[in-house]
Amino acid sequence: MGFIADVLTSFVAIIPVTLAQSLILAFVVLGIMIPFRMLNFPDLTSEGAFPLGGCVCGVLLAAGASPLMGIAAALVAGFAAGCCTAFIHLRFRIHTLLAGILMMTMLYSINLRIMGKSNLSVFGSPTVFDWVPFARPGFPASKIVVAGLLALLVFAALYMFFRTEKGTAVRAVGANPDMAEAQGINVWAATIGDVGLASAFSASSGALMVQSQGFADVNMGLGILINGLAALMIGEAVVGKQTVWRQLLAPFAGAIIYYQLVSFCLAAGMPPPDLKLATGLFVLAMLALPSLKRSRGPAPAREAIRE
Amino acid sequence: MLEIRSARKVFYRGQADEKVALDDLSLSLATGEFGIVIGSNGAGKSSMLNAVSGALILDSGQILINGADVTGMPVHKRAAKLARVFQDPMRGTAASMTVAENMLLADLRSTKRTLRQGLNAARLASYKERLSILGLGLENRLDTRVDLLSGGQRQSLSLIMAVGGSPDLLLLDEHTAALDPRTAEIVMQATVRAVDALKLTTLMVTHNMQHAVDYGSRVIMLDAGRVLLEVAGEEKARVTVIDLIGHFSVKTDRMLLAG
Repeated sequence: MGFIADVLTSFVAIIPVTLAQSLILAFVVLGIMIPFRMLNFPDLTSEGAFPLGGCVCGVLLAAGASPLMGIAAALVAGFAAGCCTAFIHLRFRIHTLLAGILMMTMLYSINLRIMGKSNLSVFGSPTVFDWVPFARPGFPASKIVVAGLLALLVFAALYMFFRTEKGTAVRAVGANPDMAEAQGINVWAATIGDVGLASAFSASSGALMVQSQGFADVNMGLGILINGLAALMIGEAVVGKQTVWRQLLAPFAGAIIYYQLVSFCLAAGMPPPDLKLATGLFVLAMLALPSLKRSRGPAPAREAIRE
Repeated sequence: MLEIRSARKVFYRGQADEKVALDDLSLSLATGEFGIVIGSNGAGKSSMLNAVSGALILDSGQILINGADVTGMPVHKRAAKLARVFQDPMRGTAASMTVAENMLLADLRSTKRTLRQGLNAARLASYKERLSILGLGLENRLDTRVDLLSGGQRQSLSLIMAVGGSPDLLLLDEHTAALDPRTAEIVMQATVRAVDALKLTTLMVTHNMQHAVDYGSRVIMLDAGRVLLEVAGEEKARVTVIDLIGHFSVKTDRMLLAG
């Protein structure tokens, strides 16, 4: 009994910290979901865009810029990175996954160039979390408020956007690019803009993370993609993905649940090095579930993704 | 009005399997005319349709719609002038979106898309009305995802989407070929009604000789990338399936059976 009580105590103690972290990382999950589900464009750029946003924000904070400025610059840099991935795919007909790998590999060098070193401390610089009244700076409550408000704002804005005439057109590009083109939709513009937007979210998550943890690191993106994917799978399993509302809610719900699960596993004594294996197995299980549910017969046709 | 001026397209140029798809093909279709394109496989029917829609870039030649040169225009820009129904019901609709959303996409084909709400009450009411003409019950399934519809329902939806907004040019690419005979007839009748009512300039590719005889004001037979035969006016009214089949260099059992 003592063991379980200990695990629960240490788990409950860090729930607020984990919640703050998961709300910040929800934007990466969103950045993975938008191309993957709305455009049928599995995109790996976020693994590079997340640290890109962090590095850009870190350098600006170190130079004395305002924290909002840091986030805005991260958004712009992330947008540009996403546009490049989409352009590589469209112009050279390179598979989306390969285009994403190319981009995130190149971004690693770019991130190092931006910072000039692999690690930059911005501890003590002003952050957006300082602006919350009634909450002591540096404590999880302020982070939960800021990241939570941002999440609500982005969720509402995206929900409205995907129901507008333009937003419906973007979804059509994901559903059937040939049909979208025949209906007068500029597939290039929609793809580049939307993948760019997604990477901008990933980068802004990096910027928030740097302000939250007080340092920027070129390796901060390591494994962010598989974590985000796992969070997305959980979110979709819990809230579904049948409607735009559910599909948009999934990244946020998934991020919150996933990081609490991880924190529980760590509290229960799982060695941190095993975490990636566990996460990978989990994502595999979630992706394999539909074909396992069919007791007999061959695996269903692979999900059609853009070539 | 559609004008194709000496369109030329060669695939695999300079290789052993070089293929002349369009061989200085010229064709003109007056406003409101319903042209039916027939010809054996490989005659250039699809290449011609793709060249008109913009999916195929010509080596030389010109394409004019209502007098405007669209030769260098990409597919999405030409969409403002023309609508197309594909042979495969899957290609003309967005499967993971609802009937109403598909109607919306087609509705905005020739206008600039804004950041205003897409589906509003007025639009939904008009889609309901337009779909009810088919008599397939689609008007009560506006919120159904299109991948839950049958092939015939999807193709009927594609047709309603295409004729909406009265495009300058309607392209029908064997659009009843993948359907069962009864559904094919429903879709064909709906097509003829819409084309007549809206006076659409239409180009229809078909392998069904009976359709070529029964409908349209002009029959165009292609062979090896050029126009082999054009029948219009009085002559078109008298033409029979046997006459048409007589002009095919290669006859298939399917064509003979259709006669």
